[in-house]
Amino acid sequence: MASIMQKLITPLASSSEPPRNKVSVVGVGQVGMACAISILLQNLCDEMALVDVIEDRLKGELMDILHGSLFLKTPKIVADKDYAVTANSRLVVVTAGVRQQEGESRLNLVQRNVNIFKHIVPQIVKYSPDCIILVVSNPVDILTYVTWKLSGLPKHRIIGSGTNLDTARFRYLMADKLCIHSSSFDGYILGEHGDSSVPVWSGVNVAGVNLQKLNPNIGTDSDKENWKQVHSEVVQSAYEVIKLKGYTNWAIGFSVANLTESVVKNLSRVHPVSTMVKDMYGISEEVFLSLPCVLNSAGVSSVINITLNNEETDQLRQSASTLWNIQKDLKDL
Amino acid sequence: MASTSKKLIQHVMKEEPIGSRNKVTVVGVGMVGMASAISILTKELVDELALVDVMEDKLKGEALDLQHGGLFLRTPKIVADKDYSVTANSKVVVLTAGARQQEGESRLNLVQRNVNIFKFIIPNIVKYSPNCIILVVSNPVDILTYVAWKLSGFPRHRVIGSGTNLDSARFRFLMGERLQIHPSSCHGWIVGEHGDSSVPVWSGVNVAGVSLQKLNPDMGTEKDKEDWKSVHKTVVDGAYEVIKLKGYTSWAIGLSVADLVETMLKNLRKVHPVSTLVQGMYGVKDEVFLSLPCVLGNSGLTDVVHMTLQPDEEKQLMKSAETLWGVQKELTL
Repeated sequence: MASIMQKLITPLASSSEPPRNKVSVVGVGQVGMACAISILLQNLCDEMALVDVIEDRLKGELMDILHGSLFLKTPKIVADKDYAVTANSRLVVVTAGVRQQEGESRLNLVQRNVNIFKHIVPQIVKYSPDCIILVVSNPVDILTYVTWKLSGLPKHRIIGSGTNLDTARFRYLMADKLCIHSSSFDGYILGEHGDSSVPVWSGVNVAGVNLQKLNPNIGTDSDKENWKQVHSEVVQSAYEVIKLKGYTNWAIGFSVANLTESVVKNLSRVHPVSTMVKDMYGISEEVFLSLPCVLNSAGVSSVINITLNNEETDQLRQSASTLWNIQKDLKDL
Repeated sequence: MASTSKKLIQHVMKEEPIGSRNKVTVVGVGMVGMASAISILTKELVDELALVDVMEDKLKGEALDLQHGGLFLRTPKIVADKDYSVTANSKVVVLTAGARQQEGESRLNLVQRNVNIFKFIIPNIVKYSPNCIILVVSNPVDILTYVAWKLSGFPRHRVIGSGTNLDSARFRFLMGERLQIHPSSCHGWIVGEHGDSSVPVWSGVNVAGVSLQKLNPDMGTEKDKEDWKSVHKTVVDGAYEVIKLKGYTSWAIGLSVADLVETMLKNLRKVHPVSTLVQGMYGVKDEVFLSLPCVLGNSGLTDVVHMTLQPDEEKQLMKSAETLWGVQKELTL
């Protein structure tokens, strides 16, 4: 007796084609799920895989998303603690690891997260040897370096979410002072995603009008308008949100979806993300810091040679040195 | 000495700027409230989003986290306060506030706890947005929609419960899995109570207008070899299962809320299964709210689609109505 399916549908072709734009998210904590939902809501992939070690939570998150399938345009969403489920990903977003507690700096998290990455990275590469890896877990610059070392992949395929979010926060706060939308305010925060990030005041502009030309003191202590305060606010932002709600997730989720879009759609947009900066700006160490990078389906296809003044270059070199000091003591990479 | 802002930008408009035209408020910034907010923001449905809650730190943290993502959004104004004046002139107010189901707890248990919370919230909503549409999401949604209607004094077309919009979405997802077709092409309506006694209308289940019950007359009965009845059971158990695995549900209900908000703000006049006053229909005599297919637009719920129900389906609706009225008449409003 034929089933409903057999009576209703006449198959013509096999529908098991491999995915063309698969994105995997490792870690289904608040950040991982915010990344996942932002990517799904923007229809960026044709398949999504979620991985975590906590099996109940992983299954619960998957079910919750699947129950909303009617409202989404991503036909295949899967989850498992076994990385086989991530096979053939174009992009793998790594959010796994421990997160900052109230008042804790990102650098404190290092060794704890390195040990976790030693399990994760080889599994990712095993099942998606051609993928791009986007590292979000903190301290992101160090963990992007760790991922690069553990993966054996060429450096252009390992991206750290870096200062994409700091820059977004900066543009939001600066634009707010000028009563315009953040996308019309151009400016970059580079270097370390953290306490020593570098606001490039010399490049800050609206409609091509350079703000430093209008106010030569901008970003310095002698600035009557105290624009420097905006950068301090950016540095403090994450700590502030963590203090108020326990963690941050929405802003970083949107930021990751923004980067994902450039990679998956091969856009070649410029984003401040963490990349290998040895031999640039006089840096001699193998460290990852954020610079304006052109992102497309190959990963970091180029780096923009942004002009930095002496002070800004010094700050970058200082960050590089701080990061290398920590990196050199990491075991078993 | 002119500020940077004044040197850069010349203000030319002489009148007061017009306020928002498409504002939505979300009351309650728990998991459901925030999932609803994110879905609404990424679907670009509003020009202003207001958030309200009693927990001030959490509220401020959530608002900041969203604002920090402003660069990636097209919603220029996101505000939050425990004072309801921030909600003024909303087109739709989404009510997610209240206690949520604990593991194993039924929705009806939550009632009196949530009624007391609504006694504070509803008058505040009405005061600042006297012409809005209230969309109740908090559980037990059918009873709380009745409560919101009574406390607000609004006409019945402006107080809507999210009802079985989500149950139907879950049903269509499961149906899609069975038939290997996208949920949006699988049609099935679950009506009545959003909860354990919801009613799957088997006669309406179809793909491309082909009634599945005509292909399988046993569908929905105990005799059915394909056991479609278990699909409905899985829907009823859906929320409990997700809660058991991850502690709460958020994504599916958030997407479902955004779906309803979209229809209302864009005046689409789409038909959705939502909770409305059913007194006088299907033999129901009391003032109860149950889900039926309703036409939604920018004035709210303007029409109800008359379904041809089997006698036992009508009986189930009447029985739900009796159960709900049994609880409602004991409430102190």
